[in-house]
Amino acid sequence: MINVKRVGFVLVLLAMASGPLVLAQVGYSQRAKEIGMHLKCMCRGCDMSAGGCAHPGGSFSGPCDTAKGMLKEVDQHLAKGESEQQIVDAFVAEYGSIVYVEPPKKGFGLVAWLMPIVYSIVGLGILVFVVRKWALRPPSTASAGPTPAAHSDALERARAQAARDTED
Amino acid sequence: MDVFGSFTLLLAFVCAVYAFIGGIFAIKTRHPLLVKSTRQAGIATCVLIFIATLAVEYLLFTDNFSQAYVVSHSNRDLSTFYKVAALWSGQEGSLLFWSFLLSVYIISVLIAYRNKNGELMPYVGVVLAGVQIFFLTLNNFVENPFKTLAIVNSNGLLESFTRMDGNGLNPLLQYPEMVIHPPNLYSGYTGFTIPFAFALAALLARYPGEKWIHLTRKWTMVAWCFQSLGILLGAHWAYAVLGWGGYWGWDPVENASLLPWLTGTAFLHSVMMQEKRGMMKVWNVWLVFCTFLLCILGTFLTRSGVVSSVHAFANSHIGPWFVGFLALILLTCFAAYFKNRDYLKSENMLDSMVSRESSFLFNNLLFLIACIAVLSGTLFPVFSEWFTSNRISVGAPFFNKVMIPIGLAILFLTGVGPLLAWRKTSVDSLKRNFGWPLIVGLFCAIACFFLGYKDGASLLCLFLCGFVFGTIVEEFYRGAKVIHVRTGMGMMMAAHELSMRNTRRYGGYVVHFGMVLVFIGLAGSAFNKEAQKAMNIGDSMKLGQYTLVLQSGDTKAEKNYTAQRMIVEVLKDNKQIMMLYPEKRQFQGTEQAAGTMVAIYSTLREDLYVVYAGMDPELNVPVIHAFLNPLVKWIWLGGVWVVMGTLLALMPNRRTVLGVATVPQPASAPITPALAPGVTLREGHD
Repeated sequence: MINVKRVGFVLVLLAMASGPLVLAQVGYSQRAKEIGMHLKCMCRGCDMSAGGCAHPGGSFSGPCDTAKGMLKEVDQHLAKGESEQQIVDAFVAEYGSIVYVEPPKKGFGLVAWLMPIVYSIVGLGILVFVVRKWALRPPSTASAGPTPAAHSDALERARAQAARDTED
Repeated sequence: MDVFGSFTLLLAFVCAVYAFIGGIFAIKTRHPLLVKSTRQAGIATCVLIFIATLAVEYLLFTDNFSQAYVVSHSNRDLSTFYKVAALWSGQEGSLLFWSFLLSVYIISVLIAYRNKNGELMPYVGVVLAGVQIFFLTLNNFVENPFKTLAIVNSNGLLESFTRMDGNGLNPLLQYPEMVIHPPNLYSGYTGFTIPFAFALAALLARYPGEKWIHLTRKWTMVAWCFQSLGILLGAHWAYAVLGWGGYWGWDPVENASLLPWLTGTAFLHSVMMQEKRGMMKVWNVWLVFCTFLLCILGTFLTRSGVVSSVHAFANSHIGPWFVGFLALILLTCFAAYFKNRDYLKSENMLDSMVSRESSFLFNNLLFLIACIAVLSGTLFPVFSEWFTSNRISVGAPFFNKVMIPIGLAILFLTGVGPLLAWRKTSVDSLKRNFGWPLIVGLFCAIACFFLGYKDGASLLCLFLCGFVFGTIVEEFYRGAKVIHVRTGMGMMMAAHELSMRNTRRYGGYVVHFGMVLVFIGLAGSAFNKEAQKAMNIGDSMKLGQYTLVLQSGDTKAEKNYTAQRMIVEVLKDNKQIMMLYPEKRQFQGTEQAAGTMVAIYSTLREDLYVVYAGMDPELNVPVIHAFLNPLVKWIWLGGVWVVMGTLLALMPNRRTVLGVATVPQPASAPITPALAPGVTLREGHD
């Protein structure tokens, strides 16, 4: 059963439409939102950045009050002429390192950035080593002419096909 | 019904323990009756779990509010559809659902192979029973879904107690996709148990050859397909419901589902090395072990509250059980490996760096790096807390920066790999194979540049997408042309015939094509735009080429929630093209009381994604948040192709490729060299 209470709601909206329009609707600047993208919303409920907080499940799906407060704080810092780095540092001093959206490229945070590079280098190193080892097998097997290779290859295929035919 | 359900679960536990211990004795004694009886105990375990699951559903359907689980996750007004889903919306129920899906796989395996592979199956049965024992322990003794409510009465005695109504289902879960997303993802997670069980069993039994790979190939593909679909449905749910304009936030739970998918994908590729060339046996065994371990780790991360996440389940005491189980599996795997590793001797040999083999090696390396990078990024906050006592959070920007290069490298290999021949590829064939795809890729990149997609990584991605698409078309074209010339069939029919003759190979290409579409969609995310405005009736806001005008709003009371709906007119070049109806839903009796229903105008070019965020707390006017997300639709289309490709790969081949197939051969008879000349070697065609 759907009960549409449309009229009442529209009336409320119309009443509001006659009210003054506030231009600074959001209460914080665009620059604060940009910097807010690098700060985690500290409401502990949404796990999003302060600039991108949509607060799923909340009664308002925009920046939640915590995020808004943080963005306004960013504006206050901006008014003092602080740089982005200084602002982020001020927040870290206030909330601790949990306020970072991505790990800082200094201190222990640097480890997070170096890890993927280290795996890639180590992985690639191992791969090259293995490939060289495998490729440097006795030349008798690697280049003994096409016949035995093709022969064993064909045999393997036949074997695989036979296995497939008897199973599926 | 709750006592009945509870008892069935307990009985299932007993049967699983019997299947495990009896199975070990059956392996030792090889007594045929014992083998049979443990197998049947395995089947009985599964049936009992099915019954217990039905019992929970029955309690949910009959609104039995004397049950703690029903009270926490359902209410009278909840629609039937979501009462089904309430089973997997809480910790206890979803763990039972895990056991349920695992049992579906196990019972299928036990029945399908009841008269086959007599050497291997008792081992498989033992491993499967072992996994079941763990989950049944949780179901019975840790997170039992059949807890009844009780209060202390005036005499100081406990008495059972029935609530009038339940707390209801989390509103974020009251969305159709939430009914199908968890079953898919869980089917993926649980499905990887089967290849794991066969791999471990084969290792323990020193089972000859690569038979376990043949046996589990299709099971792995099924699990992989469910996992892929589960991940994509989850992304789509996040996109359509959470209202933040994105589909993937690198949340720990999302990452947890991606990890086994990455190693599973690596495994699906590297098995071909073992099948064709007898290489990488150790590697494959460990890939399967890791995939299963990551499935368990994923379940652990989701449910233990170790990492913070928007997903439910957090902060429970279940963590240590999973850590213990993980350690036990790891120990078993290591023990089995060190005891029987000589059996895994491989014929590793590479003829050339430029070959299909080496492309598979690189593929595996990249998938593994991707997996470790996601894993270490997800766990980094925990590490940082251990080492520095400060928790450093790792959010989406980190993962994007790390994963984009890896993703692009994988995409590049998707194009290159299939065009390289097994063993060795000549420079001539490289030129022949890569000419057209490169032209297609360049054309795509240039076209996209002029369409306004001016971002380095995205353009590279779109170039690679074009390149991979070119290679796939080329593969189909070449194969179809051969059939066309031989049989005179039309090209389309020939391509169809070709796919049917080697479903696995061409199904694989269809999956690759699906992934190309997904990557096109991902490339679009560099160009997202958004705008947010508190709007009075009649106000408008511009976003890209669209103008949104707030026409009016209304409120409707549904059974379980009240929806506030905004009616937004969408104009393009001053012409109305669409009306959108974003909603905000206020649910009754739930903790998280609000949900959004995003209105999306979706085209291949872009999605206009409109959220009614709610009333502005200060101005008390509706706030409309709109996003313009280019190319998102391609991701969902890609998902459809991935599933279709997997289904194609699962179909049996039409047996006309090799002459051998027509020669009747007993399964176990060795194939004599005399047969070999009858086999046509089709380079790069298997």
